[in-house]
Amino acid sequence: MSIFTPTNQIRLTNVAVVRMKKGGKRFEIACYKNKVMSWRSGAEKDLDEVLQTNTVFINVSKGQVAKKEDLSKAFGTEDLTEICKQILAKGELQVSDKERQTQLEQMFRDIATIVAEKCVNPETKRPYTVSLIERAMKDIHYSVKANKSTKQQALEVIRQLKETMQIQRAHMRLRFILPAKEGKRLKEKLKPLLKVVESEDFDEQLEMVCLIDPGCFREIDELIRCETKGKGTLEVLSLKDVEEGDEKLE
Amino acid sequence: MGHTSLDKIIALQNKPANIRNLCILAHVDHGKTTLADCLVASNGIISSRLAGKLRYLDSREDEQIRGITMKSSAISLHYSVGGEDYLINLIDSPGHVDFSSEVSTAVRLCDGAIVIVDAVEGVCPQTQAVLRQAWLENIRPVLVINKIDRLIGELKLTSQEAYTHLQKILEQVNAVTGSLFTSKVLEERAEKDSEVREAGGGDNGEQVYDWSAGLEESDDSDLYFSPDQGNVVFASAIDGWGFSIHQFAHMYSQKMGIRSEVLLKTLWGDFYLNAKAKKIMKGAQSKGKKPLFVQLVLDNIWSLYDAVVLKRDKEKVEKVMSSLGVKVAARDSRHSDPRVLLSAICSQWLPVSQAVLTMVCNRLPSPLDMAAERVEKLMCVGARRFDCLPEKTQELKRAFLECKSDTSAPVVVFVSKMFAVDSKALPQNKQRPLTQEEMAQRRELARQRHAEKLAASQAADAPAQPLSQGPDVLPDHGEAMTLKANKVDEEEGKEHFIAFARVYSGVVRKGQKVFVLGPKYDPAEGLKKLPEGCSTADDLCTVPHMACCSLGSLYLLMGRELEELEEVPAGNVLGIGGMEDWILKSATISTSPACPPFTPLNFEATPIVRVAIEPKHPSEMPKLVRGMKLLNQADPCAEVLIQETGEHVLVTAGEVHLQRCLDDLRERFAKIEISASKPIIPFRETIVRPPKVDMVNEELGKQQKVAVIRQVKEEQSKYPETVQVDSTGLVTLTTANRMATIGVRAIPLPEEVTQLLEANSDLIRTMELFNLSMKEGKTLEINQKTLESIQDLKRKLESYMQGRKWRSAVNRIWSFGPRRYGPNILVNNLEGYRRPSVWQCLEKERSRAETYREFDNSIVSGFQLATLSGPMCEEPLMGVCFSLEKWDMKLPRQPGDGVYGQTSDQEAQGGSESESVVPTGSSEGKRRNNSSLVDCYGPFSGQLIAAMKEACRYAFQAKPQRLMAAMYTCEIMATAEVLGRVYGVLSKREGRVLQEEMKEGTEVFIIKAVLPVAESFGFADEIRKRTSGLASPQLIFSHWEVISSDPFWVPTTEEEYLHFGEKADSINQALKYMNGVRRRKGLYVEEKIVEHAEKQRTLGKNK
Repeated sequence: MSIFTPTNQIRLTNVAVVRMKKGGKRFEIACYKNKVMSWRSGAEKDLDEVLQTNTVFINVSKGQVAKKEDLSKAFGTEDLTEICKQILAKGELQVSDKERQTQLEQMFRDIATIVAEKCVNPETKRPYTVSLIERAMKDIHYSVKANKSTKQQALEVIRQLKETMQIQRAHMRLRFILPAKEGKRLKEKLKPLLKVVESEDFDEQLEMVCLIDPGCFREIDELIRCETKGKGTLEVLSLKDVEEGDEKLE
Repeated sequence: MGHTSLDKIIALQNKPANIRNLCILAHVDHGKTTLADCLVASNGIISSRLAGKLRYLDSREDEQIRGITMKSSAISLHYSVGGEDYLINLIDSPGHVDFSSEVSTAVRLCDGAIVIVDAVEGVCPQTQAVLRQAWLENIRPVLVINKIDRLIGELKLTSQEAYTHLQKILEQVNAVTGSLFTSKVLEERAEKDSEVREAGGGDNGEQVYDWSAGLEESDDSDLYFSPDQGNVVFASAIDGWGFSIHQFAHMYSQKMGIRSEVLLKTLWGDFYLNAKAKKIMKGAQSKGKKPLFVQLVLDNIWSLYDAVVLKRDKEKVEKVMSSLGVKVAARDSRHSDPRVLLSAICSQWLPVSQAVLTMVCNRLPSPLDMAAERVEKLMCVGARRFDCLPEKTQELKRAFLECKSDTSAPVVVFVSKMFAVDSKALPQNKQRPLTQEEMAQRRELARQRHAEKLAASQAADAPAQPLSQGPDVLPDHGEAMTLKANKVDEEEGKEHFIAFARVYSGVVRKGQKVFVLGPKYDPAEGLKKLPEGCSTADDLCTVPHMACCSLGSLYLLMGRELEELEEVPAGNVLGIGGMEDWILKSATISTSPACPPFTPLNFEATPIVRVAIEPKHPSEMPKLVRGMKLLNQADPCAEVLIQETGEHVLVTAGEVHLQRCLDDLRERFAKIEISASKPIIPFRETIVRPPKVDMVNEELGKQQKVAVIRQVKEEQSKYPETVQVDSTGLVTLTTANRMATIGVRAIPLPEEVTQLLEANSDLIRTMELFNLSMKEGKTLEINQKTLESIQDLKRKLESYMQGRKWRSAVNRIWSFGPRRYGPNILVNNLEGYRRPSVWQCLEKERSRAETYREFDNSIVSGFQLATLSGPMCEEPLMGVCFSLEKWDMKLPRQPGDGVYGQTSDQEAQGGSESESVVPTGSSEGKRRNNSSLVDCYGPFSGQLIAAMKEACRYAFQAKPQRLMAAMYTCEIMATAEVLGRVYGVLSKREGRVLQEEMKEGTEVFIIKAVLPVAESFGFADEIRKRTSGLASPQLIFSHWEVISSDPFWVPTTEEEYLHFGEKADSINQALKYMNGVRRRKGLYVEEKIVEHAEKQRTLGKNK
């Protein structure tokens, strides 16, 4: 082992360590900060921009290089670049503040976009803009959770926003045709789930067109299917009931 | 002159011969409001010392701060000349191009106009515009050349030079008038020509070609400005002086003994005074003599300025003053600023108000002299001829011309704009100083009360008759007072709208019942529907575009103040309150249903600057909407609209106008915090045929592809395992429960087809409605005309979609999308599935063989979802055809039992067959027992929708994708000298010039160009700035255009590497747009957080 002196050491700066445990040993590689996530997402394609050096370490901060036999035992190859790629892809790393920030920002926007897509202003039946929703989310101090899906969080946000502003999920327009004998009974059961009944036609069979909250769709679907044993039909006329076209204010 | 009382003005209002309605027009900063100040000062409303500094008519705070006028405001002045009293209704207008709509509203109400030109700057773009407006409205202009002091003080011209300079300016102005005249004559001639051609189309043999344009025959001499005509005043409003030649002619005829008529003719022009011969001779210029105007007029002014301002020679000033017969207060003569002394002298010697007002009274027409031509123009809308109007309406013309104020004459009023005032400013709610009588009355009342009180306390035991009166009156009074106070509290802060209007005929009274006529009202129809001789008192309001209401209070407009009036006779400008519910922006009011609506105002500037507006706090949305509605009413030019995206868009004429609108919204109408931002720009996604050449125009496939360093490893990982893509772009995808497999291919539609579908979306919607009802077994009647146009659409589609690829594609169309009527098509290319065609409304009878397969609906829904948001940036697709080529379902089922029919069958067979396919699904189904279909992936129809959507998206991605940008066409009018700069701005913003041509009879070029909407923010403003306002664009949405560059492009061939380098650093326009949209929506953007790893800031320790 060479003598460890200040003159022959190579100091690395801006290090982000990626670790992986394999074959009972811990391996580390030295990468640049803020680059590993880009590599994983495919935005960065140049490996040299990610790796500081293509040496595999046991411990980066101490400068202990991994032994060759350990590497070949664990990875089955001696090609350092290949091993580095494997570690980059599967190893664990600490996400830097910048990376986390962009990720959260992106999720925040995504949530706002989903909310804006799903909701309308109940007075005008028109959607809100994304930037307005973003501002409203900041007003209620909504904090994004990185490990929950954006859609889930969007539903949560809608619930919270309802308290501060006029917002409502855009209604879904449904039509169902029920056989006459079940019609009356089923109608009573469906009543609480429907928001607006637009038309109702009861001769041989009951035909209804109505607006519902999209959250109840599954419930209604299930109800009709079970109760009518597959005789009733359900059809989605429109996913979102919104005003179309531009309107001049006068 | 003292303050003119209201009574006097009311008295004058009844003499239409002595009324002058005029407005002041000019380029920005040429001194309109200053001149107005001088005129206002002459009536003692403001001190003459403050005239020119106060800017009395600029009542808004931002007008005072910015120093520009932003609205037109009226004031009534009194002036007497030659023993006659005149009432002058003066309207000051803004000069900035953003507010030219305000100018239009002012011009409409006037009979004459004062056009002001800066003596230094000469004719400017807005000067031309206002002259044109005055011309179009047929009102007579007079000219004031202002700021002559700048020629002396700033340019240091000699009087001789100044004379030639003034001459040049006059020529410029006359040239503009001349060109207006020529274009009109040419237009008339062209009209005549076409008429002649129509009439005598048969005999071509004997056609006489007339080369003269007809200009020679038409007389235009009285149009031009000339000092000897008496329609030009030279002035310096800031120093308070101004003169016309008449004044000097009059002065010198007495002094020199020359007849004033001779002087009048010779004072302006190439004449000089031969002192020896005591004659006035022609040809001053050629002989090098001083023209008469210089010698007699300018020299005097120059020497005065020289003495007072430049040399400050006390003795000479004294001499001049005594020779002019002017007395100046000691305070002024001792003032340290020579300007004060100067204006004190000048305003006595040559007061500008006198010069201007005399000219106005002499030269401008009174309401009585309104030209018949102008009346006809006002009364017929659009291309309709006056003769076509009903007889009764034609009779109204006489009432117009006579301008009678009898009670019998029909009332005709035109409202040109609505403006908002604070309720505090209304005279009813204003505290005014008490008059003598009122004070006396109150004193009397108080005394009485006191006496009563005394009496009451004295005679407490005797309840006498008179005493009961006292307590009765008092509480009443108190109640009334509190009531009033409450009302005021409520109304405080509420905006009141006042209609800015003019009476053309009849007498308007407060509370009168009238008809309000909208711009589309047709008098012929109105007359037919309303019974003969019906009056406004009957509430018969069944005629379209006509409403019946009673007028609110009438006001005399006095700049910042309003005076309440009881009645207003014809020929006057007035304000009408309480009309906000009836009139939006402008309207015609009449007592006669025969009255036609006036021609709409012609605005020089149309609104072009668009911004999206949002409240700071989302909960204040309703307030914003209300505020925007009010703003829309108060501003003649602003437009507000809600877009489909939910944005509230405000469209204004320019940046300054926008600023004013935002201020108004914040402080007056909405009273909330708002923010304005760039509006959202829509895009479309499409696919194209694979390109044949690469980015450096080399043919593809011929040269070697460079060994790509970064192997495209995503190629495989892009698609999950369930998806297979073959080389021709056919995507096969299996649903999550492995029960159904779908094969979809995406094909670009020909451009004509896309356009056709786009244009016929209404028809397609009708077809869809029909098909839906057919499906349920009902029938919907479609009228013959629609059927024919559907047939036509189909025929056209067939003619556009030819070739092997599209064989019988039209008949196999399954659906349109998105929303079932968009410009994308789903084609059924399945073997053995014949579903009823979308064209079934064209077929007489249905063939029995065609039935819907189960889950047909899910496929359509999946297609709709896919076309609604594409994979590039979740924008709708356009011009894409998806062809479904494979659709296998492993579920055995009976046909025709409804969507849920298969449940029971599956239950029966579930154990044996589907268990192997979906073990989780069926085991769960057994457990639940009620329905086997409920597997862990949700209902099957839902899965199929998702699968179809995904398949379409992958099929789309398998083809070369392109972004489509919305395009504006823009028409730019520009003069030759700024043409180059217009082109510069256009090319900087990715615009493309389509054509350029010269307008006949003018030197204006008309450029037609297309410009992406994404680049249009700030375009209008930039082009105006770069061309100093000489070019103004007009933007209209026209079409969608494919952006030719590929957003996912990276260099692949050797040439491309050479040309663009490894990373292709040059900006990819399509990628820029795409990433912009993705970032806005919070979608994943392929972007590195740090570009260069080594170039990060090192936060090192101890190194």
